[in-house]
Amino acid sequence: MAKLLAARFVRLLATLFAVTLVSFFMVVLLPGDPAVAILGQDGVQNPELLQQVQDELGLNDPLPVRYGRWLGSAVQGDLGDSYTNRGQSVADTIRDRVPVTAQLAAMAILIAVILAVPMGVIGAYKQGRWPDKATSASAQVALSVPNFITGIFFIWLFAVKLNLLPASNWNRMSNGLGANLKTAIMPATALALTQMAIFSRLVRSDMIATLQENYILAARAKGMSDRFILFRHALRPSSLSLMTIVGINFGALLGGTVVIETLFAIPGLGFRLINAISQRDIQVIQGITVFIAVVYVVINTIVDLLYIAIDPRIRRK
Amino acid sequence: MRKQQLFRLLALLLTFALVAAACGGSDDESAKETDDSAEVDSGSTDSEPEEEEEAEAEEEAAPEKDEVVAAGTEAEGDVDTEVEATDEDTTRLSGGEIAVGLEAELVGLRPWEDTCGSPCMNVLPTLYDKLMESTVDGTYEGWLYTSIESNDDFTLWVAQLREGVSFHDGSALTAQTIVDMFPVQQVGATSQGQIAASNLGNVEATGDFEVTYTMTQPNSAFPAYLSRAPLGMVFEPAAAAADIDAFNENPVGTGPFMFVSRDLDNETIVERNPDYWMSDSDGTQLPYLDQISFRPIPDEGTRLDAVLSGTTDVAHTLRQGTIRDGRNARDDGADIFLFEFQGNNVGGGMFNMLVPPFDDVRVRRGLTLMNSQENVIEALGGTGISLPGTQWFSPDSVWYSEKAAAAWPQFDFDAGVATLQEYIDDPARSDGKAPGERIATELSCPPDPTLIAAMQVLEQTWSASGLVDVELTNYDQQTHIGYALGGDNGFVGSHTTHCWRVANDEDPSTWLTPALSAPTAEIAEAAGLPGPSPINWSNYWNPEVFENLVAATRTDVFEERYVLYEKVMVQLAEDLPVWFSGHTATALIVNDQLTGLASWELPNGTLGAGHANAEGRWGQAWLDN
Repeated sequence: MAKLLAARFVRLLATLFAVTLVSFFMVVLLPGDPAVAILGQDGVQNPELLQQVQDELGLNDPLPVRYGRWLGSAVQGDLGDSYTNRGQSVADTIRDRVPVTAQLAAMAILIAVILAVPMGVIGAYKQGRWPDKATSASAQVALSVPNFITGIFFIWLFAVKLNLLPASNWNRMSNGLGANLKTAIMPATALALTQMAIFSRLVRSDMIATLQENYILAARAKGMSDRFILFRHALRPSSLSLMTIVGINFGALLGGTVVIETLFAIPGLGFRLINAISQRDIQVIQGITVFIAVVYVVINTIVDLLYIAIDPRIRRK
Repeated sequence: MRKQQLFRLLALLLTFALVAAACGGSDDESAKETDDSAEVDSGSTDSEPEEEEEAEAEEEAAPEKDEVVAAGTEAEGDVDTEVEATDEDTTRLSGGEIAVGLEAELVGLRPWEDTCGSPCMNVLPTLYDKLMESTVDGTYEGWLYTSIESNDDFTLWVAQLREGVSFHDGSALTAQTIVDMFPVQQVGATSQGQIAASNLGNVEATGDFEVTYTMTQPNSAFPAYLSRAPLGMVFEPAAAAADIDAFNENPVGTGPFMFVSRDLDNETIVERNPDYWMSDSDGTQLPYLDQISFRPIPDEGTRLDAVLSGTTDVAHTLRQGTIRDGRNARDDGADIFLFEFQGNNVGGGMFNMLVPPFDDVRVRRGLTLMNSQENVIEALGGTGISLPGTQWFSPDSVWYSEKAAAAWPQFDFDAGVATLQEYIDDPARSDGKAPGERIATELSCPPDPTLIAAMQVLEQTWSASGLVDVELTNYDQQTHIGYALGGDNGFVGSHTTHCWRVANDEDPSTWLTPALSAPTAEIAEAAGLPGPSPINWSNYWNPEVFENLVAATRTDVFEERYVLYEKVMVQLAEDLPVWFSGHTATALIVNDQLTGLASWELPNGTLGAGHANAEGRWGQAWLDN
């Protein structure tokens, strides 16, 4: 086990190094000057000032020097300061936004699982019949409609027409759980529908395979109820791949809420990232990218380990 | 039982599908309605009898208008810029909280340091008072200054500061405060450039409440620089100098509202300053509102929906499409009011005049003649909202010139082809190609859907001449600016033709002079000028034009300045460094209980400039209910 963990750790470090290297060069090679974004039209009238700001930010240094400087600070836990929101450290920026995006992602996954498991189970149990066709068609629709379209529809329906929920922005938990959920439920559900479609199809196909197993036939022969067989004997072994995809997609959602956060004006990682890109705030882009990569890799590692813990066959292999 | 559950599930799914289908249907309808209403809107200003009823209904829905003062020349078929004095009998209620949806988050809250566009100009004036303020007729009068006078050659300006004003932290505002602000501004990221552009050399206190500005060069328009960030907003200099970053977390000004909190990308809250120095004409202390929450909502549709749903009270927009959608919602019965404005800022594009073949006026003229402004504006969603541009001033501006408008080459495809053909057949053509060969250009614009549509109209028209190879490219905003700036090639830039916006509603000298100053170091040196102006985006240089611009800063007589700027505009219509689509229409779309945005006044009772560029003066806004 220790050997396995060590191997995973080494893989984690290698992945992170590659992520930082690639993302750094991708970002700095983009045309557009952070100094111009900082100075704006008022400041950029002065060419000497433009040069001065470029020098202060080290933008005229060779790229390997800039990367080395960033990496040297990053391994010591210092991700630097934002170029545009000067005085705010990148670590603080991430710390302020992670709870928002994590809550959105967690709620989306939760809603998706709650909807997907019954849909998948019903689809498998009634394979080829109309309930299966109905749930499969619903999943297909949910998968086909981009989440921002769903989001726009939700705003129109629940905010403008029904006046039930706020159209935008975010109430933090400190304003009360109810207020927080009111701003979270629409974007989370918009994110959840795509996930639901993926999960339900996965559960359905796994369940169909599981329901062919001999021990299911044995359970039926013993006279157990269908519900008991489905949810106690068939769902558990079928949930392994669901768990894997839930973990992976949670990580993906941390970096994949950009559009929904922008649409609903939610101050999460994605919204900040898109602002940072438009302002060429390289430090913030780099910091958030690395953070998402770390979380993604760590979650994958945890899922792998859980997989081993749950399934004795894998452990023995 | 299981069947029942399945039926319920099916019913639920069917309901969802039906609702989705209903929504889909309404999209088509709304598109149709949009087209229809655009026609109605463009016609409504013609005062057709059959439309009078509709106009009356709109007037009923709108806040009462007593005296309407048109800013500049009235125009038809566009957003009208109206500023209104408040009826003396109007009761202005104090209290209440509002939420304002802004197009973007502010970079920061430091007027001398952080870039400040239209969203920012909604927030900063709540915290910071200005020294001067713009009036409805385009002049500048005192706000914290009670007066400002210059010597004869505009090299010395002496201002009298209002007494009895204190900062939010209780410290008093004196002339020394303004002097102490200056060293902070001298190193400020945005203020440094403006100090140089304004010719400001030194600031000194010549009395407890008297400030003297010494200029390095004459500048008759200097008060304009004191009317907005980065030089005109008064901040507490000791706190700013002590810790510039901490100041951003706790800004201190003398404004009508005090800073409460900022949750970056989500909400900035300001609350009423109970000790604010200014009262309205009835003697009621300002501001009326208790609290304002400014919220960045980047998506235009969501920002409008937020007002329609009551999530916010105001949607700030610089987009014609959102104005159109807001008008449609209002006409459909939504309880909203649009404070609209047609600004000087005008869209279109630039030719890089240092890159062949755009160094030849025949090419620029030919392409401009082939620019169908009507079609481009339609592609931008601005039909019935924006007027075609003919100069860097809108028809609502006091600087607008009929002469320049007449000089501007209107759309004439055949004339454009003939003009361009003349260049193409010229054996000495500047791009080095053989006579008869087509010219080539990269037409570039940021990847906004409406901008792309507008550029496609241009591309098709230019290509249809058979004389131009057009390559359409789209780069994000920063890349777009970077290409035009050309920091790595002496500010020449690597663009050939690309979309751009020019002009604003400040005094013309503040933006027109740097935009048309010597574009490169070589040109500046040859002209004996201090240095290149990186924001001369089209690299246009005409010594005669520059002389007129300089002359306009040597006189404060409006008529003289008007003539000088008119000469500049007429010359630009001849030289054509830029082409135009339409003027930028802006709006503050508000719930109809909120008013006062078009009627705010300066301390001396002069009517202010209204809501130019969707910038609200929240210190004098109130809720009717």
